[in-house]
Amino acid sequence: MQARDIAVQVPTVALGDSIAHAIQVMALGRLPGLIVIDGEQRPRTVLPGTQVLRLAVPPAYQDDPALTRAVDEAHADVFWHELRDRTVGDCLGAHPPRPTVVKASATLLELATLMARQRSPLVAVVDDTGLLAGAITLDRLLSALALARPDEG
Amino acid sequence: MSAVVALAIFVVAFFFIATERVDKVKVVLVAAGLMTVLGLTSGAEIFFSEHEGIDWNVIFLLLGMMVVVGVIKGTGLFEYLAIWAAKRSRGRPYRLLVMLMGITAVASPFLDNVTTIMLVAPVTVVVCNRLRIPAQPYLIAEVLASNIGGAATLIGDPPNIIIGSRAGLTFNDFLMHMTPIVVLVFVTFVVLSRWIFRKSFSYDERYVDEVMALDERKAITDPRLLVRCLVVLGLIIIGFSLHSVLHVEPSIVALIGAGVMLLVTNVEVGDVLKEVEWGVLVFFMGLFVMVAGLGHTGVIENIGTWAADSIGDNYFAAATSLVFGSAVLGAFFDNIPYTATMAPIVEGMAEGADPQTADALWWSFALGADFGGNGTAVAASANVVAIGIAARTGHPISFWQFTRYGIGITVLSTLMAWVYVALRYFS
Repeated sequence: MQARDIAVQVPTVALGDSIAHAIQVMALGRLPGLIVIDGEQRPRTVLPGTQVLRLAVPPAYQDDPALTRAVDEAHADVFWHELRDRTVGDCLGAHPPRPTVVKASATLLELATLMARQRSPLVAVVDDTGLLAGAITLDRLLSALALARPDEG
Repeated sequence: MSAVVALAIFVVAFFFIATERVDKVKVVLVAAGLMTVLGLTSGAEIFFSEHEGIDWNVIFLLLGMMVVVGVIKGTGLFEYLAIWAAKRSRGRPYRLLVMLMGITAVASPFLDNVTTIMLVAPVTVVVCNRLRIPAQPYLIAEVLASNIGGAATLIGDPPNIIIGSRAGLTFNDFLMHMTPIVVLVFVTFVVLSRWIFRKSFSYDERYVDEVMALDERKAITDPRLLVRCLVVLGLIIIGFSLHSVLHVEPSIVALIGAGVMLLVTNVEVGDVLKEVEWGVLVFFMGLFVMVAGLGHTGVIENIGTWAADSIGDNYFAAATSLVFGSAVLGAFFDNIPYTATMAPIVEGMAEGADPQTADALWWSFALGADFGGNGTAVAASANVVAIGIAARTGHPISFWQFTRYGIGITVLSTLMAWVYVALRYFS
């Protein structure tokens, strides 16, 4: 079985989309993460759900747990309001992480090792030209693996 | 011919480092590799000679202190102090500015400047956001204070570590010779900052309550960890200052301190090692090999001879050139590669002088290189880090906004350093 056999179409976001929109896309689509694409439909990065959440945390707090603890409850409840109109691109910075991608011909073993190594429950599938062809979620991969159990031959 | 090739490789590499067109670690690795493959260094000797290769004293001193700082970062001490300062100031901008500058200037001699800024800047942004005031003046003032404070000790600023190792200057030497002028410069900066940042001192008292709502006590979750960290840090500093008694190199003290710190705090070693800036360490190694290439092919010796011939017996002129020259060059290039390159040249200049005059040349060099770090937005790593934090948190600082303040402080501090050198060593 290859990546193309289990890939599905998922909603994506662009670098210019607001953080609020990105979270909305992920929540409404019940996705385990988000694929961020550029203007040519190429994946710029693939963010696991926790890293999408990280985008919503104001940068001053992201790497400073001690400062986070010092914030009073009233402000902590509305921390994401501080982001105002910041976009996905603003929060990712100039050097976003490389996208977690596979070619459509990748095997399930390749997919599984990539997801495990990158700690990403979402992988973008690209065609030979590098354009987004679909996505594979952790659920989708696990289902495919379960269906292909050798003892059920 | 080999000297020309070595110089060409060095100049091209320095260009890419200065312009940041390519990752500087890649640049030094390629340049160091070329130097070695082309036979421009002493071959495998680069791993064993501190003067003709990698100065491991510098590398391991940095590594040890990075581990120590990696543990201290997790204690919440700096967040506590910065929030406490903000609350004590009750939102009054000048008082807030002075207290934040004070924290960074006092921390910088013992921790590296980048770490100090990374710990204090986020709190500054949060406080400024709550007061609805721009954070830029505060962040700039903190960086300038950090670069000034870092000049005070052997471990406060990477140029000092390089100079200390090359010249055989101890932690106490730095305390006796650098700290007095650093204190003077810092006090002057604090006084002048009331005027320098005068346009940024308006605020609305209605928002002060939001600052007062921050609870600094929650920043520290493990007071025992904090106490242990401070005790170990204190012991490390005592170890540095007892160099003349114990004859243990600073790098060894830092490594032992790092080991003790890991042992007594029981933190996850893997977590702490993630805090080590391995890229910086590799950058230093490559840089040393690049400079070793210049030394091996005679470039450094030729420049040193030329410099020695030019100054003759006029060491005050040499000291003056070092203070101002280093400040100017250190301001436009990263002051770390500048110091690594110049250190062997200064060594050559100091060779013919009596020990006291030779030391005066080293102090002139250190003061110029350290204070030059404030000159522009790219002159020191702390400046770059602060500008990055400012951009990410929605308070962007442009190159010129930083440089406008930085150049003024660099001119002031360099002039004060020159007067200090003249009065203390040449009068």
